Amino acid sequence: MPDVKLANVTKSYAKGRILAVDRVSLHVHDKEYFSLIGPSGCGKTTTLRVIAGLVEPDEGEVHIGDRLVTHLPPEDRDIGYVFQQYALFPNMDVWDNVTYGPTVKAWEEEKRERIGREMLQMVRLYDRADAVPQELSGGMMQRVALSRALAAGAELLLLDEPLGALDAKIRNELRYEIRHLVKDLGLTAIHVTHDQAEAMAISDRIAVMRKGRIIQVGTPHELYMNPKEIFIANFIGESNFLEGTVVSLKGDVATVRLRRDLQVNSKKTEVSQKNERIVLAVRPEAFEMAKGKKKLVNGLSGAIEKVRFEGTDIRYEIRLANDDSIVVVRPSLRGGWLKEADEVTVGFPPEKSRLFLYPPKGLRAELELE
Amino acid sequence: MQLLGNRRFITKVVIVVVLASLGIFVLLPTFYLVSFTLTRWPEVYADVFANPLIGDANWQQILRYLTFSLRLSLIAVILDFLFGIPLAYFLARKQFFGKSLLEDIITLSLVIPTSGFGVATLLTWTGVSGLGALIGRGIVEASFVIPLINVPLLMLLVHVALTFPYIVRTLQGKLEDLEPAFEEASRTLGASAFTTFRKVIFPLSLPALFSGGVLAFARSLGETGATMVVAGIHTTAPMAIVRWVSEFKLATASFLGFLLIITATIAILLVDFLLRRDGGFKTLGFSMTPRIGDTILKLEKAFSGKVRWLKDFVSLAVVAVVVILPIIIVLISVGAYWSVDPDTGKIQGSVLYQLFGPSNYFATLMKATLASIFVAVIATYIAACIAIPSVYLIKRYRNGRILRYLLRIPLIVPSSALGLSVLLLWGPSGLNLGTPGIWLIILTHIVFSVPVVMEPTIAAYEGLNLLRYEGVARTLGATPYDAIETVSLPMLKRGILAGVILSFTRSLGETGATFLVMGSDVTVPPLVVNMVESLAFSAALFASAFLIALSLVLLLLFRIVARR
Repeated sequence: MPDVKLANVTKSYAKGRILAVDRVSLHVHDKEYFSLIGPSGCGKTTTLRVIAGLVEPDEGEVHIGDRLVTHLPPEDRDIGYVFQQYALFPNMDVWDNVTYGPTVKAWEEEKRERIGREMLQMVRLYDRADAVPQELSGGMMQRVALSRALAAGAELLLLDEPLGALDAKIRNELRYEIRHLVKDLGLTAIHVTHDQAEAMAISDRIAVMRKGRIIQVGTPHELYMNPKEIFIANFIGESNFLEGTVVSLKGDVATVRLRRDLQVNSKKTEVSQKNERIVLAVRPEAFEMAKGKKKLVNGLSGAIEKVRFEGTDIRYEIRLANDDSIVVVRPSLRGGWLKEADEVTVGFPPEKSRLFLYPPKGLRAELELE
Repeated sequence: MQLLGNRRFITKVVIVVVLASLGIFVLLPTFYLVSFTLTRWPEVYADVFANPLIGDANWQQILRYLTFSLRLSLIAVILDFLFGIPLAYFLARKQFFGKSLLEDIITLSLVIPTSGFGVATLLTWTGVSGLGALIGRGIVEASFVIPLINVPLLMLLVHVALTFPYIVRTLQGKLEDLEPAFEEASRTLGASAFTTFRKVIFPLSLPALFSGGVLAFARSLGETGATMVVAGIHTTAPMAIVRWVSEFKLATASFLGFLLIITATIAILLVDFLLRRDGGFKTLGFSMTPRIGDTILKLEKAFSGKVRWLKDFVSLAVVAVVVILPIIIVLISVGAYWSVDPDTGKIQGSVLYQLFGPSNYFATLMKATLASIFVAVIATYIAACIAIPSVYLIKRYRNGRILRYLLRIPLIVPSSALGLSVLLLWGPSGLNLGTPGIWLIILTHIVFSVPVVMEPTIAAYEGLNLLRYEGVARTLGATPYDAIETVSLPMLKRGILAGVILSFTRSLGETGATFLVMGSDVTVPPLVVNMVESLAFSAALFASAFLIALSLVLLLLFRIVARR
């Protein structure tokens, strides 16, 4: 049964000048839907290609199931790989594409036919078996590519930005369809994407990569609620960051002095020590907000600078009394809309905020995506 | 409004001028031989089929030369495919030290003056200073014929060396453009490297293979310079044209030229038809019974493993033996023959004696070099002036495709047929615009130089999406002419430059056509052939080394310019 283990996998390009994957170790469990996410160039696709055998690592080991496959060519790994640009063979029709794996593996004619039919029926494209790929829409092409990958009998499905080239609506539908297929068939899937919302929606677990390294692995819930680094607090969902210093620690609560002596309480974390320079992270949706001067937990006063209506939500950009800027997001149909220049009080529960050590290279550098 | 009207008028004038020069300088000379043969059919018929003295002996000869040429070209192209495909794949997919050098060497045999290369090959295989030095005599006789396929070895070697780059170049370009994802998808689905090649890469690159194959076939069919040098007792069709014209058997020569032009045109049309029918995908997609299919899959799997390097090794070895070795040997041999003929020990056979002795070939060579360079510069310049606006006509107007079609024909028409056509059209027996000499040479070279400049420019154009960038320039306020001048032409520069260099070197090395139209203004490649035929072998050796060195320098210059 295919679980996947990477041990210290390293891959560099341009004679070692570009380190694409840096000592990555990872264990993807059997039948797990696992996502690799991170900004462009973080090494997630290279990691996936190492697992597929399309790239040979400089160092480290790859296990699929019980087999050590580090130096095995891709055709001997029993995997299915789905490409962002579909990569359907343009010289073959849909049927020949889907039965390509069974054909080159020299399976019996009868088995070939059955699997081709089943796989195409599964993605609801059996009636398009005679079409050439160029006649299909993007979503259809990716469904054909998916059934082609599965028809070859793989129990490990590798997906490289499979939804990246599709329209937003189709993308949303297809991502759940892929997850259902994987779960129904009892496959292990590793899904690479730069879209954190996509990964959150469908994954059992997620690994966040940055600059060739994995910086946190966890369930979507863990990553959202307990990001280990400032970068993840910003990359998964969204966060406001306020600079400050810890002034006191009492039980579970750390009191923090923000700029211009504003004081708030936050949940104590392992990094909090007295007089430590820290960054306080609060998600825009964690704030409460009231017009005028109100008494709220961790209440801070400020004025609305900008209001953006986004459909589902309304975004308020607020300048606090200490001149820090924050963003507050409220569901738009909850009513109580405020307008620009309104004086407001915002507050947040201490347990829904998080403290991080102030990064040595500065906050801006820490948040850079490239 | 006035301004707009003016612009339209200017556009029309430009179009008319370009079309007219294409017609006069390129298309008319290409097809004149066809109309000449047809309009004088009674004369031609009488000479070829019903000669009062020899009956249809001329026809018998034509048939013999033509079938010989076709057989030679076909076998050469088959060998080209055999060695060219792995080489192209190797170059497209691997990064290694010395790759650009290898690419240069492959390009070299496209730009090298062929008669010089013929001398090099002859020397390598038959002389005692070539490979023969190892065993003390020539490896083979000059006229050695390979049994079974009945083709002279040296000719075949020369034709493969001069034509395989067409396959490698076109296929390599196509493979580099091909998305690696197709290949990767096939591998992840369980296909071995060889199976992937057969089922995915090969069908997808068929169009490139076909067009490379046509170019290689046409080049081989028309090759004259090197062929004459290594021919020995054999005669190919283009050689026969040269000989017959010098014997004033114009009717017979023009009928053979006519047949060559028709053959080349049919080759183009046929390939185009095959490609258009189904993109060429299914042309070679024969079906096989599952059992044979499975056996092939197993074989491919086995070969994809340990012996994969073998195909790379073999094709590289072929390049080394047929291209690099002769060039090195000719350069070295100039030294060996410098003051004495190492074969006979006679001073009369030395380079020094033949160049500066009584026959004074050195002066002739210098004069020929000047003539060659003069011709190449003028012909390339005029060709570029016609070709660049033609690219616009072809890409911007719906009927441009037909024009492009027509303009590919001069590329594949055997050059001696072309020379004969020009001679008959512009020469004393035609419109009498010039006697054979330097201007007629230039007119001849323009015919093939226009498409030679055009093809890489069109390729560059197609890769660039120029319309979009010109559109951007227009939205920023540029007139159409400004947009072309400031945006398109600079972007096309590399394509144009590549075309100009190819055209220049091709003109420099052209032999077959030049023979027919040169009169007393000899250029270097025919001079080399003359030297060989008058047994001044050492002088030929020196001239060949000189020509090869010249084209090496040009290639070097090209690389320096292209890198900037």
